[in-house]
Amino acid sequence: MQLEELTEMLILETEGLTIGYRSVNRQMVRVVNNVSFELEKGETLGIVGESGCGKSTLARAIMGYLRPGGQILGGNVRFKGTSMQALKLDELQSLRGRQIAFVPQNPLSSLTYHMKVGDQIDEILKIHRGLNRHDAHNETLKLFQSTRLPEPAQIYQRYPHQLSGGQRQRVVISAALACLPSVMILDEPTTALDTTTEMQVLQLVKELRKEINTAIIYITHDLTLTNYMCDRVLVMQNGEIVEHGPASSVFECPKEKYTQDLVAAIPRVDRPPRHKKSYEPENGSVLLEVKELSFAFRPAWSSSTLFKKREFSQAVDQVNFSIRPGETLGLVGESGSGKSTIANLLVGLLAPSLGKILLEGKPLPLLAKKRTFEQRRRVQMIFQDPLSSLNPRQRIEKIITQPLRAFFGISPRDARDQAAKLLEDLELPLEFLEQFPRQLSGGQQQRVAIARAFAAQPDLILCDEITSALDVSVQAHVLSLLTAIQRKTGTACLLISHDLGVVREVAHRCVVLQEGFVVEYDTTEKVFTDSKHPYTCRLLAAASRHE
Amino acid sequence: MFWILIRRLTLSLLILFLAAVFVFMATEVLPGDALDVFLTADDLAVMEVEEIEEMRRDFGLDRPAWVRFWDWFSGVLVGDFGKTFIHEVPISEIIWHPLINSLLLGAVITTITFPFALLIGILTGYRRGSQEDIIVSTTAIVGYSIPDFVIGTCLIIVFAVWMPLFPAVIIAFSDSSPGELLAVSLLPALTVIIGHIAHQSRLLRAGFIETMNSEFVERVRLSGIPESRVIFRHALPASVIPMLNSFAMYIAGVLSGLVVVEKVFGYPGLGRELIEAVSRREVHVVQAITFLSATLVIVMNLLADFAVIILDPRVRSLKS
Amino acid sequence: MKYPRVLQVLTHSPGTMVGVTLVVVHVIATLFAPLLIPFEVTKIVGPVLSSPGSVEHWLGTDNIGRDYLSRLLMGGRTSIFVAMVAITFAIMFASLIAISAAYVGGIYDDVVMRIVDTKLAIPGILFIALIVTGFGRSILALIVAISLSYLPGAIRIIRSHALTIIPLGFVETAKLRGDSLYRIIWNELVPNCQEIIAVEFALRMSSSILTVSALSFLGLGISPPTPDWGLMISEGVKNIHTHTWLVLLPAAFISSLVIGLNLASDGLANALGLDAARGIN
Repeated sequence: MQLEELTEMLILETEGLTIGYRSVNRQMVRVVNNVSFELEKGETLGIVGESGCGKSTLARAIMGYLRPGGQILGGNVRFKGTSMQALKLDELQSLRGRQIAFVPQNPLSSLTYHMKVGDQIDEILKIHRGLNRHDAHNETLKLFQSTRLPEPAQIYQRYPHQLSGGQRQRVVISAALACLPSVMILDEPTTALDTTTEMQVLQLVKELRKEINTAIIYITHDLTLTNYMCDRVLVMQNGEIVEHGPASSVFECPKEKYTQDLVAAIPRVDRPPRHKKSYEPENGSVLLEVKELSFAFRPAWSSSTLFKKREFSQAVDQVNFSIRPGETLGLVGESGSGKSTIANLLVGLLAPSLGKILLEGKPLPLLAKKRTFEQRRRVQMIFQDPLSSLNPRQRIEKIITQPLRAFFGISPRDARDQAAKLLEDLELPLEFLEQFPRQLSGGQQQRVAIARAFAAQPDLILCDEITSALDVSVQAHVLSLLTAIQRKTGTACLLISHDLGVVREVAHRCVVLQEGFVVEYDTTEKVFTDSKHPYTCRLLAAASRHE
Repeated sequence: MFWILIRRLTLSLLILFLAAVFVFMATEVLPGDALDVFLTADDLAVMEVEEIEEMRRDFGLDRPAWVRFWDWFSGVLVGDFGKTFIHEVPISEIIWHPLINSLLLGAVITTITFPFALLIGILTGYRRGSQEDIIVSTTAIVGYSIPDFVIGTCLIIVFAVWMPLFPAVIIAFSDSSPGELLAVSLLPALTVIIGHIAHQSRLLRAGFIETMNSEFVERVRLSGIPESRVIFRHALPASVIPMLNSFAMYIAGVLSGLVVVEKVFGYPGLGRELIEAVSRREVHVVQAITFLSATLVIVMNLLADFAVIILDPRVRSLKS
Repeated sequence: MKYPRVLQVLTHSPGTMVGVTLVVVHVIATLFAPLLIPFEVTKIVGPVLSSPGSVEHWLGTDNIGRDYLSRLLMGGRTSIFVAMVAITFAIMFASLIAISAAYVGGIYDDVVMRIVDTKLAIPGILFIALIVTGFGRSILALIVAISLSYLPGAIRIIRSHALTIIPLGFVETAKLRGDSLYRIIWNELVPNCQEIIAVEFALRMSSSILTVSALSFLGLGISPPTPDWGLMISEGVKNIHTHTWLVLLPAAFISSLVIGLNLASDGLANALGLDAARGIN
């Protein structure tokens, strides 16, 4: 009696699952190694890991799906007692979307762009539930309502690119719920979304969970999310399960070193910073000042914009702030708030429509090409994507010595020595000088970018989301190296990030930006603990609700 | 969407005008004018200087360039392409029937090429890397590597020399009826079709593979939708749209192919006229034919772009 | 650093290796042909249209009495030469124009693209016919005509590739460093367009050899008495019933060369991860 009950509780289980891919040179690479876990009816299981740990492959394998080149090398997956590998394609097809549903990461590229959104859900209903056109249409509208989409009838007629990110994700969730599946797998569903939108979607999933009693597998790289959302969690590294247990205990008292390091590396929004920042400068001295800075996008005339209305969009609106020597100023805001535009304006890639930028009291020419050598040298920028900020055809040595030779005119031999020293500061081995960017990992590439920026011995470094593309543990390392160099050289830093935890850890003061306006501008602690502005409070609430 | 179409139309008209300038200019950079090109050494020996000058005046070649251009262009817009040097026949009369014949041949080629290319492209793309795919793909590469005139000549050898089914040389007149022409256009069409199916199927295959690997196809498969629907309702429309973008290049290719094939088979089309005009050095005829071809390409490209604008919802609502 | 991997992928593909072999054989034959031929290609050395198999003339003679074997072996030289020179110049200019247009943008880019669009509306053979009518059938005219004919297509493709490179971080860094326009184009942009330029070169080579042959066949290209495969086919058509090999042999030579080039460039494009099936003009 008890055994039957137990097996009834188990919706899904894997046993010793091992999956490999054939790489370009015909080698078999193991992506998932000996993974065993169980999923009970109605429970929410989180699978956490950094990039490349195999979680996405695992998620799809559970549905009996492998990307081209993939092969199951061992173990099995059982859904309600039946082995998935034994099923034929049409049996799998009747399971997928009906009893096991999938919510992918990027809703824009996951929805068919040439079909109306409503039709795509109708399709699922017609095929799996055998509804006719009329009933399917009504059911779709009901689904849209249950995922809290405003004006379902209008959304039905729209195409994916006409909806916002949050709306699209709700549409995809509606598709997943269309047949009331027993299991719903969500693969990083909120990674592509804004913080506040992310919060809304997460709340939605939590509520739906209560209503429907579907078992959920939630895949993410963010342990704080699993703490918020899940009952249990599995931590994966290099294809293997490193730790597992109830979500909150894994988060608060991790047992394995990997998990402990992972948790320690997460920058916290709700706690005071644990690590040393760069030096706090004396009051009164000002390095860079920004006055009434404004910028509007105006598309240039060309034959491709004939007859198009030239739309102005105000990206930055009358922004004022200052940066003191040696300090780190944080610039936070959601996507589209104008943070990157401000960086581009400061460095001279764009010219403001209004306003001034003052370097040590003297106005800076607006465009980089009009600035003097010295002026350009003193403000350096580091970009978000490390791979594309390094020339793939140049060796690391050339990449770092270029600014040294351009700004200081030193000989190649001296430049090489200095480059070696910079690598040392960033804890990179000397052999890297001979290598090409593609041979380095993301974190190493970003460190090279930092070395290059510091090679010019600037007074101010603009960091535009420099760690957003990196894993959490790598991020922590890179930031600590950055602040260490700052302390050594006295360089100031404008740190742009959408991640509030990062800003809290690293910045002395911070600016909160909303749609081009400065909404708040104060010391970091004040902003994070004592803010009065509703937008800031909303951001903070969204960011810390995870924890 | 309306304004997008208008914008596209304006662009096409601009290009049409530039093409006219281009075609006209190509002969302007010659030392001397069209008459100088036309007259051979023998003619020059026989004719008096005044005769030549009179001819020059008759054809209006003594006027400045922009006057001549405007005259020519405004004539072209109403279908008047000037006159030939020999016999002073209106060029529009000479090219009218050949134009129709070539259009007929081109239409046959295009309507047969696409369905087959689509079928082969999808089948090989779907079974990428399989035995069949490799064999068919390699055959396709061989297919479009062999020159049209070689394929044509080989077809003549096979069907006219070894098995006397078709006449090796087509005896058809410019103004033959469509029925007669259709029978006679079979081999020439087949020649071009072989190469074009080979090439287009490769393009379609590449596009199809890319689409089948995209994220939305993955999501649809993971929703348990049967493969046939995945292909026909989701993947196929997505891979056809990029095809339309290379449509202009395709049409230009067909026209080039026609020139060669008409010579090989003696088909009475515009290509054959072109070759004759070149050998007779009738500059104005060459200009006329070239400009007509350019017009056809521009028009077809415009239609293809219209189709994309109508079919691709992302382009359609770009402005909204 | 990447080249070993590319070579590895290339050598694993049988189609590509066949293609490369064909090309190499043709190149060697073309280079050494003058040393191998028994007779001069333009001299009349025997009876008209004699059959192959004789000791003196292994492949017989052509319709004027010239040794066929010699003409066949030398038949590719001119078209390969024309194609190589034309395409080299075309790709060189196309790269510079395309990359600078993509980078500088503005009116310059606009004008370039309109000219490109205009030329692309005119089919290749007709364009060349136009130029040949005016300038006559010299080798130089042919080279210029083919070069100009392929220039716009190459510009369009290289430009769209350059457009994906220009917004990248390292280009902006170079801008901020104060590098001059020429430095940026030469140091940052051109090296990163290497792959597309190489593939374009290979593809355009094959189609331009096709074009030269077709032109010679039509009587617009290489003029007699220079031996050229396309020309030889048109000469042989008159006797196609009785002397079929006069058409088939040069046909086989042209085809094998172009097939080899296409197989090789297809393989190259695949190995470099680029869109393999590009437009052939």
